[in-house]
Amino acid sequence: MLTQAELERYQRQIMIHGFGEEGQAKLKRAKVFIAGAGGLGSPAAIYLAAAGVGTLRIVDHDTVELSNLNRQVLHWDENIGMTKTASAADKLRKLNPGVNIEAVAEMITEANISRLVAGFDLIVDAMDNLPARYLLNKTALEKDIPFFHGAVHGFEGRAMTIIPGKTACLNCLYHGATVPEEKSPVIGVTPAVTGCIQATEAIKYIVGLGKLLTNRLLIYDALEMTFAELKVNKDPNCEHCGNLSGK
Amino acid sequence: MSIEVKIASIFLQYTNAQKVARVKGSTVGECLDHLVEQFPDLKPALFDKTGRLRRHIDIYVNDESAYPEELAKPVKNGDKLDLLMLIAGG
Repeated sequence: MLTQAELERYQRQIMIHGFGEEGQAKLKRAKVFIAGAGGLGSPAAIYLAAAGVGTLRIVDHDTVELSNLNRQVLHWDENIGMTKTASAADKLRKLNPGVNIEAVAEMITEANISRLVAGFDLIVDAMDNLPARYLLNKTALEKDIPFFHGAVHGFEGRAMTIIPGKTACLNCLYHGATVPEEKSPVIGVTPAVTGCIQATEAIKYIVGLGKLLTNRLLIYDALEMTFAELKVNKDPNCEHCGNLSGK
Repeated sequence: MSIEVKIASIFLQYTNAQKVARVKGSTVGECLDHLVEQFPDLKPALFDKTGRLRRHIDIYVNDESAYPEELAKPVKNGDKLDLLMLIAGG
């Protein structure tokens, strides 16, 4: 049930065909887990909070550094030295006091991930390293939680949506491959677009609108200003989701 | 026989910022061989010392993944290859 203030706050999106008060109520009931409060996590969290998602749990163990501020727009100069989750929670609560913001300053590990995602309906992958991304992918599949992947490098962004048991997963896409963990080049506008795509997919999933970015890798090339799509097939031998075929 | 290769931005440092190349070959492997003839600096980025395609390199033929056995995948005149590298930044 939406309050009068909520009807007014979300009036313009409730007007969207197929969205309505029921769509808004679905957003209000939703609990979204955001893994990472950096370049991707910032825009994803901002737009999910603005849209009225009921609960956002943001998990990140880092503190804000000066070199983050070209792209991690939830964090400002005055936040340097703070945990990213505290910095993010402060802004998001001011943006939309109606959203329950849970800030968790922990590193995501095999030991704690089950506890961290328990009770959540969606996982947004806004991490900056592959081991954590694969761990999230595997956990999302095991716990049947839709998973919204995004990644950036320089002026290039990528996104894909994973529905456990039904679509290709992150491991189907990359087959367990890794790249060395090192600082990658990036400018803020790239994760801004990519994180918003992840948030858009999450909202579409919750409300039940449109066609999801499943079995498709979206590649945003900001230098050429193009969006390209590549087909990603579910791998029956995938070590993460192969056993979920036909679920 | 002419195949178009779309080269992801991450490789531009090896291709003089060229994003599209034309290559010849009847398999993905032959096409990549022709590509690295044109851009020799690209070779170590794509292949390890034994000549195997690096695991974090992905090849798509006409928008479909060529995995596994990418290098053996047949191609024909007019096909399009996409050359990608795994990215993980956030």
